[in-house]
Amino acid sequence: MEVEKGKTAKYLREKLGGVPEQAKHNLKEFNSIKKLMLEALKEEDLTVIQLSEKLNMPTDKVFYYLMSLVKYGFVKTGDIDDMDEYYTYKLNE
Amino acid sequence: MEKNIDKTSYDALVIGAGIAGGEAALNLANTGYKVLLVDKELSVGGKMIMLSKVFPTLDCSACITTPKVSEISRHSNITIFTGAQASNIRKIGEKEFTARINKQPRYVHIEDCTSCQLCEEACPVSVSDQYQYGLIGRKAAFIPFSICSPKAAAIDIENCTLCGACERACPTNCIDFTMEPEIIDIKVKTVVLATGFKLFDPLDIPRYGYGKFKNVITAMQMEREIAPTRPFNTILRPKDGKVPDKIAYVLCVGSRDASVGNPICSQICCMYSIKQAQLLMGALPMADVTIYYINIRSFGKGFEEFYQQAKGMGVNFVKGKIGRITEKENGNLILRYEDINSGKLQEEEHDMVILSTGVLPNEGISELFEGDTLGLDKFNFIGQSDALAGPSRTSIDGVFVAGTASGPMDIPDSILSAGSASSEAISYLIQHS
Repeated sequence: MEVEKGKTAKYLREKLGGVPEQAKHNLKEFNSIKKLMLEALKEEDLTVIQLSEKLNMPTDKVFYYLMSLVKYGFVKTGDIDDMDEYYTYKLNE
Repeated sequence: MEKNIDKTSYDALVIGAGIAGGEAALNLANTGYKVLLVDKELSVGGKMIMLSKVFPTLDCSACITTPKVSEISRHSNITIFTGAQASNIRKIGEKEFTARINKQPRYVHIEDCTSCQLCEEACPVSVSDQYQYGLIGRKAAFIPFSICSPKAAAIDIENCTLCGACERACPTNCIDFTMEPEIIDIKVKTVVLATGFKLFDPLDIPRYGYGKFKNVITAMQMEREIAPTRPFNTILRPKDGKVPDKIAYVLCVGSRDASVGNPICSQICCMYSIKQAQLLMGALPMADVTIYYINIRSFGKGFEEFYQQAKGMGVNFVKGKIGRITEKENGNLILRYEDINSGKLQEEEHDMVILSTGVLPNEGISELFEGDTLGLDKFNFIGQSDALAGPSRTSIDGVFVAGTASGPMDIPDSILSAGSASSEAISYLIQHS
């Protein structure tokens, strides 16, 4: 089978008969959490705990996804509070 | 379908491209021998390349490792296969071994990748980053870590949604989903085993709460937090992003503990914990750091001075055995321990706990061989046939062991061991030429 350079993902997708369910599930979960977080941060800068309360999501889950969004360039670290304990996070616009 | 590629000949097969394997490969290559260096990971450099600094000198680990990795990668006598595993090693006659290399596809043509990271940017998938020990996510199209070698992208095919975004973003068309696993049959004259070690999984001791309490992390996770290529902007606790100010280390987690099947000392945990404590006091000057220990084993050159230096900096050392760790509502942790000196039970609150996990042998090494049996010691590290007169010799003539594959040791000892293994291998090659 002739496969065009730069379009080989289609070849493997057809060969495997689709995309694994787990990969689809992971993508869906990440996208929905990303959307929620970015929308919440649109309104104001927030700490992990504040974001957790706002999204009703465990703090450790918020922390993991928030740090990932910082790494991917969607979010950036803001200021630290007066007690030098918690940073706020803001959209990287 | 797997492709079967024709046989290739090398003087030496070195399995494991960590600091010991890399050193052994370089010594052999510099002497003029052709070496095939194989590693199951996507980068050479092993565990050392992931470390922050080394003890007791506090030299930057990456600054030591990267020039060496670069030398290995550019050496004309060394061929490197990453994402590959050796198997079916068989001695044929007196002078030759055959082996099979199973090379997994990277789905990226390394030679064409400019590591521009545009594929990473375009990839919509986020999964746990194994090179940051699960502290943060990474993309399915990703550069393993910033100082990896080869510095090239890879596709995590298990998590890839095959959307093609990475291919469309790639300016050099180096991404190729038609790549397939390769089986490469080779002939070599000698084999060096530098398969390293694995760290104890603290999930096996549930009373420490690892996995359940997010502010209980492993020393390797803390190592990433304090490394220059760290996942966060500073030291943060994973439960809620707080900057910790009362940190505890628990030593001998999964080592010197017959109840978990590992009665031996890991030789490195005391010193890497003391190193991290010193680095933490530099990064977080207001933090209190306490090390709970059974004995501090500062046996190496400069180790005792390093220990005393940590004490002088204000690191608190408590001779105590941890019974259990519980979590408060605010994420702080209560350590219940036996104060060994007074014999009394005590409790102390910390906001982060680091488990200094022990060293275990990698499994399945003897299964790599066919015909001859590779002997293991009673702890399942690769057996040294003569630990005093020939510490790198194994039960198979022509097969040598380097570094922590033969037992727990620190980095300088691993490099010494690799020197011994390569010298023995060179001597063997000369005698059998």
